[in-house]
Amino acid sequence: MDLLAQYVMNGVMLGLMYALVALGFTLFFGVLDVVQFAHGDVVTAGAFAGLATYAGLVLAGVESAVPQLVLVVIAATLSMAVLGAVLGRVLVLPLKGAPPLNVLLATLMGGTALRECIRLFYPGGSQPQRFPALLPSASWSMGHFTLRLDNVLMIVAGGVLVLGLSLVLRRTRLGLEIRAVAQDEETARTMGIDFRRVVLLTFAIGSALAAFAGVMHGLYYNEINFGSGLLLGVIGFSAAVLGGLGSFGGAVLGGFLFAGLQTLGAVALPFASAYKDVFAFTVVILLMTWKPTGLIGEQLGERV
Amino acid sequence: MRTASAGTRAISALALAAVAGLLLYGFLATESEKTVGLILLAAVVAVAGGLRSGVLPRLVHAAGAGPVLGALGLSMLALIITFHDDPFVLLLMARALLVLVACLGLHVQLADAGVPNFAGAAFFGVGGYTAAVLGRSDLPHLLILLASGAVAAAVGSLLLLPLLRTRGHYAALITIAFGLLFRTFLEVNDTLGGPQGLKLGGLRILGWSFNDDRQLLGMDFSGYAFYCLAAVVLALFAVALVRRVERSWIGVALDAVRLDETAAACFGISIGRWKIAAFTLGNALIGVAGGLSAMMVGFIAPNNFTFQESLVLVSILLLGGLGNLAGLAVAALLVIWLPEKLQPIQEFRYLLFSVLVVLVLVLRPAGLVRRTARRPFGSVAW
Amino acid sequence: MVSGTAQLLVCRGLTRQFGGVVALSGLDLELRRGELLGLIGPNGSGKTTFFNVLTGLFPPTRGEIVFDGAPLAGARPQEIHRAGITRTFQRSRLCLDLSIFDNLAIGAHQRLDHRMVFNVLRRHDLAREADATAAAATELLEIFDPPLARRLFEPMTGVAMIDRRRVEICRALMSRPRLLLLDEPSAGMTGEETTRLMDDLLEVRRRFGDLTIVLIEHEMSVIQRVTERCVVLNYGKKLCEGTFAEVSADPEVRRAYLGLA
Repeated sequence: MDLLAQYVMNGVMLGLMYALVALGFTLFFGVLDVVQFAHGDVVTAGAFAGLATYAGLVLAGVESAVPQLVLVVIAATLSMAVLGAVLGRVLVLPLKGAPPLNVLLATLMGGTALRECIRLFYPGGSQPQRFPALLPSASWSMGHFTLRLDNVLMIVAGGVLVLGLSLVLRRTRLGLEIRAVAQDEETARTMGIDFRRVVLLTFAIGSALAAFAGVMHGLYYNEINFGSGLLLGVIGFSAAVLGGLGSFGGAVLGGFLFAGLQTLGAVALPFASAYKDVFAFTVVILLMTWKPTGLIGEQLGERV
Repeated sequence: MRTASAGTRAISALALAAVAGLLLYGFLATESEKTVGLILLAAVVAVAGGLRSGVLPRLVHAAGAGPVLGALGLSMLALIITFHDDPFVLLLMARALLVLVACLGLHVQLADAGVPNFAGAAFFGVGGYTAAVLGRSDLPHLLILLASGAVAAAVGSLLLLPLLRTRGHYAALITIAFGLLFRTFLEVNDTLGGPQGLKLGGLRILGWSFNDDRQLLGMDFSGYAFYCLAAVVLALFAVALVRRVERSWIGVALDAVRLDETAAACFGISIGRWKIAAFTLGNALIGVAGGLSAMMVGFIAPNNFTFQESLVLVSILLLGGLGNLAGLAVAALLVIWLPEKLQPIQEFRYLLFSVLVVLVLVLRPAGLVRRTARRPFGSVAW
Repeated sequence: MVSGTAQLLVCRGLTRQFGGVVALSGLDLELRRGELLGLIGPNGSGKTTFFNVLTGLFPPTRGEIVFDGAPLAGARPQEIHRAGITRTFQRSRLCLDLSIFDNLAIGAHQRLDHRMVFNVLRRHDLAREADATAAAATELLEIFDPPLARRLFEPMTGVAMIDRRRVEICRALMSRPRLLLLDEPSAGMTGEETTRLMDDLLEVRRRFGDLTIVLIEHEMSVIQRVTERCVVLNYGKKLCEGTFAEVSADPEVRRAYLGLA
């Protein structure tokens, strides 16, 4: 029972992280019909930006955890919002008319460049970096299961973020513009919506979410690695695809679904929990074979 | 289409091969990084000039592909003899050639049939692991090399159904996911050596061991010379095969599938059949190259077959111009040799390649050299 | 009831629905061997959908298709091509990266040898088959435009729009089909070019005696001149059929097309 609770806790944390990444993918696909494959590396970059901020704060003499945490999160999300907009402006928008595989390739390579920059230029970047524990370490024991306050805080924060995004999309003018562009670019333009502004803001928002996920990742595992973004990106993309690219609810569902698959894999194959990724990706491939455009698929139509 | 005499063809082919050979020799022999840069510059100028003025295509056309390939083979042989006891250079040459063969497989999949494969390094690894496992038995090594290709093709066939059902980035995701899960599987699985990998004995054909250094024609030949020779043979075979496939009804069918599936179907072309054929053939080539490479290097481990390495293979295709075989060869050489020859960029090579590819995609999406329409393969001059 | 041998194509109750949209509704249509049928109707009346269903791109929601005695509803496009039905597309679908010859070779696909051994090893035989295909392609192109035929191995990108339409028609003819479906072949052409195209089409019909053609057209003068019979569609249903003179006088047709009460 306690083991189950532990797994559930794990699963929810990971699911939320994956959902945040998947939301980025689905937003970008919604507004531009594009897969931005550097997104996973933006997650890592966000974590490193947070780490660098922390190092700076320590040097500046900021000792207390609360301002550290707040500033780290702000710095990470803001810097990645900017990076995301830049990536959109430089890599994605110029390739708007090109065959979709070109954008996939360009962003894959862009992600590689980003990853390599972290590895080469961040001091000690090629080694895993310790991420500071900025959240309170209180915990409650319930039998063999330990409920940690930091995990609860992260889950709550992540949940608030997802809900917040949902509200932004459904209640604000920006959200309306984003949905309009996602629905039909041409009509949106004729209605006077500034297409480029909306696209760049969408990239900024999606990348800010990624940064948050990166900081979460660092706080949860207490370490970050320049290469972790790659796997996270593929997982986030898989999650978004499973839920149906372009669907908000689908991305969240997909994130939790993938986390669930990993947990299931770890439980079902106790002799090697490392096989959980093999298991999860195999299921993804099988699901995509069954439903090529996701469980809540995108409707592909072709005018003949 | 052949209006030149046999003599003209031979001379054109040999001239091209000689120039290429000299450039390659200079590139490989020099220790000084400055000279490497100069030779590179000279080569770029020569090729660009040759292409712009039309001299290069006309020379190649006049010679005919067969003679050019043969002459290039002779050049490579000359280079092997020149560097007979320099294992470093020989290994470098062999590596570039084997990567070229793998990229040729990828070329058939992506550039011809439009099937994306972001797990190229994984299939290379499948070939290598097959060679490692079968090398422990008594099977003749030539058969093992063929088996490397066959097993890679067989493993690839697991992805066929998902790949046929999906399009574009969904299909790409499937190969990416496969590459990741393959590597994870290898690292976790101890029967295949786990993260340490497996060791291989070298290639032996009819008792002749490729690993041994030998004395021939009064010169000392490093064992790698023979691997290099094998790689040259494999590469020539692969280029000839891919070229013939492209310049045939198969090539036309693959193009039709890649460019417009709906129209292709309306004219009786089976989309599934051709995607399967291209994917299988491509993986077979990649597998054989992987098998030979593993035998040459002597061991194989999972961290050679990362997604990053698959991206390098795809980068080579893009940098050479998707669809351009000559460009592919040049790109393969540069991607493998440049980081070795210019030590400062060794550390930065992934960054360099990714930035170059992004530049190519954004600035010259048609590739550095345009893909030309297929030259007719009939016999009458039209 | 006409005897079976004269009927090349019989469609009964052909219906195609896309979600809530009924693109074709209970269409009954018969084609006699060798006839040139005009298919007309306002935009969105289901003409192209009819072609798409006939060529297997969409299975019919209901109804049957019998081609030369064999049922074809729900068959794959490749099987339908094999049965002898080919088409052109409303929006030109040629492979622009390829040469004219390559595009025509795609049309001839089913008659060419695609075996790996043949294509890779028996190069002389392959060259001879290529020559034969080039000769057939030239013969077809020359009906439409001899200078075009001389540019057989040029890439499609350098070819003008009107020539592209000619290439598309020739591509459909390369397999010597029994039924040719033409979807607005004269779109974008001047009156003179259209007349010439129709002349060439009639010449094709003269040469390939057993060719049946269904022609979707918006140019009424073309329909009047070349078709022997036409069918008018509206909202996926057959409104009326007969000679052009008959249908153009039909009050329902006039109302559908011209909005006259």
